[in-house]
Amino acid sequence: MSVVVFLEHHEGELQKGSLGILAKAGQLGGEVAGVVLGSGVEELAAGAGRYGASTVYVADDAKLEAPLPQPRVDVLAQLVEEKGIETVLFAQSILSADLAAGLAARLDAGLNWQLVDIATQDGAVVGKQSALGDSVLVDVGWTSTPRLALFRAGIADPVETGGTATVEKLDVTFQEHSLAAEMLEQAHEESSGPSIEDADIIVAGGRGLGAPEGFGMIEELAKALGGAVAATRAVVDAGWYPYSAQVGQTGKNVSPVLYVACGISGAIQHKVGMQGSKVIVAINKDPNAPIFEFADLGIVGDVQTIVPKLTELVRARKG
Amino acid sequence: MSRGIVPADYPPPFSPAEAIATPSDPVDERIEVGVLIVGAGPAGLACAIRLGQLLEDSPETAERLGDVPVAVVEKGKQPGSHLLSGAVVNPRALRRLFKGRPEQLELVPTYGDVHGEAVYILTKGTSSRIPPPPTMRNHANMLVSVAQLGRFLGEQAEAIGVAILPETDAQKLLVADGRVQGIRTGDKGRGREGQELGNFEPGSDIVARVTILAEGTQGHLTGAAISRFGLEGSDPQVWALGVKEVWKVEQSLGHIVHTMGWPLRKRARFGEFGGSFIYPMGDEHVSIGFVAGLEYRDVEFSVHDVLQEFKTHRLVRKILRGGERVGWGAKTITEGGFHALPKRFNAPGLLLVGEGAGLVNVPTLKGIHYGIESGIMAAEAAFRSLQRGESPSRVGALDSYDEELRASYVLEDLRQVRNMRQVFDKGFFLGGAFASAMTITKGKLPPKDYHSEPNATHSLLRTDRAKSYPAPDGTLTFDKLSSVFLSGNRTRDDQPNHIRIERQVPRELAEMWVNMCPAQVYEVGAADGDGTVTVNLAPSNCVQCGAITAKGGRLTPPEGGSGPEYTLT
Repeated sequence: MSVVVFLEHHEGELQKGSLGILAKAGQLGGEVAGVVLGSGVEELAAGAGRYGASTVYVADDAKLEAPLPQPRVDVLAQLVEEKGIETVLFAQSILSADLAAGLAARLDAGLNWQLVDIATQDGAVVGKQSALGDSVLVDVGWTSTPRLALFRAGIADPVETGGTATVEKLDVTFQEHSLAAEMLEQAHEESSGPSIEDADIIVAGGRGLGAPEGFGMIEELAKALGGAVAATRAVVDAGWYPYSAQVGQTGKNVSPVLYVACGISGAIQHKVGMQGSKVIVAINKDPNAPIFEFADLGIVGDVQTIVPKLTELVRARKG
Repeated sequence: MSRGIVPADYPPPFSPAEAIATPSDPVDERIEVGVLIVGAGPAGLACAIRLGQLLEDSPETAERLGDVPVAVVEKGKQPGSHLLSGAVVNPRALRRLFKGRPEQLELVPTYGDVHGEAVYILTKGTSSRIPPPPTMRNHANMLVSVAQLGRFLGEQAEAIGVAILPETDAQKLLVADGRVQGIRTGDKGRGREGQELGNFEPGSDIVARVTILAEGTQGHLTGAAISRFGLEGSDPQVWALGVKEVWKVEQSLGHIVHTMGWPLRKRARFGEFGGSFIYPMGDEHVSIGFVAGLEYRDVEFSVHDVLQEFKTHRLVRKILRGGERVGWGAKTITEGGFHALPKRFNAPGLLLVGEGAGLVNVPTLKGIHYGIESGIMAAEAAFRSLQRGESPSRVGALDSYDEELRASYVLEDLRQVRNMRQVFDKGFFLGGAFASAMTITKGKLPPKDYHSEPNATHSLLRTDRAKSYPAPDGTLTFDKLSSVFLSGNRTRDDQPNHIRIERQVPRELAEMWVNMCPAQVYEVGAADGDGTVTVNLAPSNCVQCGAITAKGGRLTPPEGGSGPEYTLT
């Protein structure tokens, strides 16, 4: 059984999400390969050995510099066909979702997405997919190979195995139409901390902050903790914070190590976006707020006094 | 003396003319179909299936209608996604639809026939069983989930060659040269301020020889068409709001239950008219709902919370004990009856069918079979008008639909009960007495006709109504937000607001909307010093029940694919 994980990289670093999927792929039994596509990425590719890849395929080409999906579809399609790859796994990202969809169309392959787990059962590969607004997990499978799977963000952590990988260079030929798109400009949203999908620590604010200015202290706490800022739909709706920070059913799904919910009641629409967090701390003045039903640590009190105090303590502790 | 606050005095920024347009796409970019049906509910799909059957037998007609002889547009994710009802269905129309096709009739998804029924009058602590009024006898009717029925009919329609376009909202009715030419579908991928996002896709003109509006309650284009062609009936249309839940239960219910009385208040001045239903869905599930007329006046009245209150009654607790809520939804029901029917059910190139056309029998709590029956008749009339030598755009070419409908049991049923709903404005007991007299005399008594006022013209009052609503416990009783979640609604938040209301209104009116809405769309915002407040909106919570249109605002269709995803309702 041949499994390849698409390893995404950004600013010279392999992304945590895809390294996590590398660890997850180990569950399928057998060796796991990675694939790194880009320009000047050979050295980076070798690093994946430390996280469990036995082989890393590399396509190094200037045409792969920009994070565009189509040229990558060309490379992956050739790889799958030439090496007889049976399973290709992706960690959720905008590029991966585009790429997985494009590859599925190119190879006429089945793609299961939003997976939270994958395993071999009685010789068949079975994915776990969350459905009906996260209320149930369903088993999903593939009727043919190659199988493509796109995993939800943050469902697995990278595991350092300390191994080394054989790096195998791929010759690439691009189709003309794949090069038709050109990256003109890449703009980054101004943000001081990590993006909420990659952050280990998230400080989130809701309506209980009282006013848009309340996000000032949320940002302070996030900075002190080295985390990112998230928001509920209600405050995004009200224009207090940008949509890109919205966590929940119609926003982003996050699963950080620590999620500090400030002035958030914990409606189920919010809960489904953050319930995978390892430790949930809730600060809310309403003791009956639903969030206390699933928070690991609850503080009943006024966010206006507790959050600044907390920030102070964190700063003092960190020196 | 001031007449108090009346929702109709704060009209929404909306004119029916906005929903009418002439085709604007270049001719070669228009989507051309033969017959276009708007709405994949029982009426629209029955119409589509009947057309499919007729065209199967008449390939030369199908040929003349082009590549897509019959198309259905549906704003929900799939047929059935926006369907919600009790439902106990009279099977006669389905039998006619699948006449000579027993194998299809056999496949209709049902939970069997009604085998027993009980009607109760409730007070807070008691329940008195009464003999079912004649209009409420349901022996041999079928129990169904109308969402499941919609999915099934959609499959049957596709199997017979009908093109179904889901996630497509009909935004404008195309009218040119005095006849209906089709519809314009809504844009997709617009941001909150209407700006084009990366995935923007403009709507299209879909042009058709005949357009059939089967939009159900609060039809967006039906309302516009009625006003454009002057089809208003003698009475204004009125609505009730139903909120229902589906429960997985431990013991099977067996029979159907209707209740009247508590938690509604009987005094006429509150305008609280309605009742509940509890229907078994096989051995494992029950469907439980509460319906109340939207002529109510109390600012704090909330059908969702009344349903929660109702569930705390001993009679209901017993049925739900140990169970789990697995579905929730809300929808308005057209209640105007006979006097509110449109003057005509057709205009050049246009037919109106089903609940959108007002074909609902309130006293018997039925309408699905009228929808199907009218859909069949509309299909046959459309088919006749498409024969060689005839043209659906000729004035009067579709009149045979009106004639058949008026001669059918559908209009006769509605005529007999024409005054029954209105007399309940007199209060529960007096209304009940009038209703009995009407039933016994098949509508001959009382001799005069009673008329109703639009829902939004009743002045508001305030009591401490909300005090009696139970606090949600997450087991038996639930808040609105977790209910919206259960409806499957995951509408994109950053799309333009589709709810038209006056945003600056007296506090009482704003609070009435907050309580009215089962999906927590409205919120009282900042006070403005002069007694008015700003109304804030969370449109993506909307399950498109339509209550706002009855109570002083106007619902328009959001981007296709938005709203609830009902599966069991």
